[in-house]
Amino acid sequence: MTQGEHEARQDHSATIEAHHLLLAIADHQGATAGRLLSEVGLDRSGVRAALDREFEHSLTAAGVSAAFHLPPAGRRPKPPGIGASAKLALERAFTAVRKKDVDSAHLLAGILRARVGTVPRALALAGVDREALLTRTQTA
Amino acid sequence: MSAEETLAPADGLAAVAALRRLADRLEDSAVERALRAGWSRPQVAEALAVTRQAIHKKHAGRLAAAGVQPRRR
Repeated sequence: MTQGEHEARQDHSATIEAHHLLLAIADHQGATAGRLLSEVGLDRSGVRAALDREFEHSLTAAGVSAAFHLPPAGRRPKPPGIGASAKLALERAFTAVRKKDVDSAHLLAGILRARVGTVPRALALAGVDREALLTRTQTA
Repeated sequence: MSAEETLAPADGLAAVAALRRLADRLEDSAVERALRAGWSRPQVAEALAVTRQAIHKKHAGRLAAAGVQPRRR
């Protein structure tokens, strides 16, 4: 969660969303969840690239280009709150196990259970089979 | 034909989410630049068609951390 908060800040986001948690998990290749992601070719930069592609793809669908230069703004000093998509991912992770037993693999499974939204769209654009990855996460 | 008529529901909803993220980033950047260029907060609020309170709530902390001094009216 701490890493997810860091990712949200880097992203200039006021909230921690599921895709920030996914970035944080991908950054920890030593943990089971990070290893499962790296097996489908998703290290942190791979997840970032997939998310950027989803962002541009979705904007293009509405006839908007994100190609213009956006001057950097100052970071938000306040810690980001938990966003709706991260809340759902956590709830889905907690349904499987008791709260104190949740590890990164459970959290990844919680994120991967989302059928709609930014993360499943980014995974599809990256050519990752979400259902298959979810199954591997649950048997890991 | 509008974009909305041709978009699949998933693409339409994802476009809204992406546009909100883009608008938030654009707002952070534009508000900061305007204040650095000498605009007052009431002017920025009026240009964005939001209340001064909304500007304060959303940006005051971030701008103070970024070293942008509020200009008094």
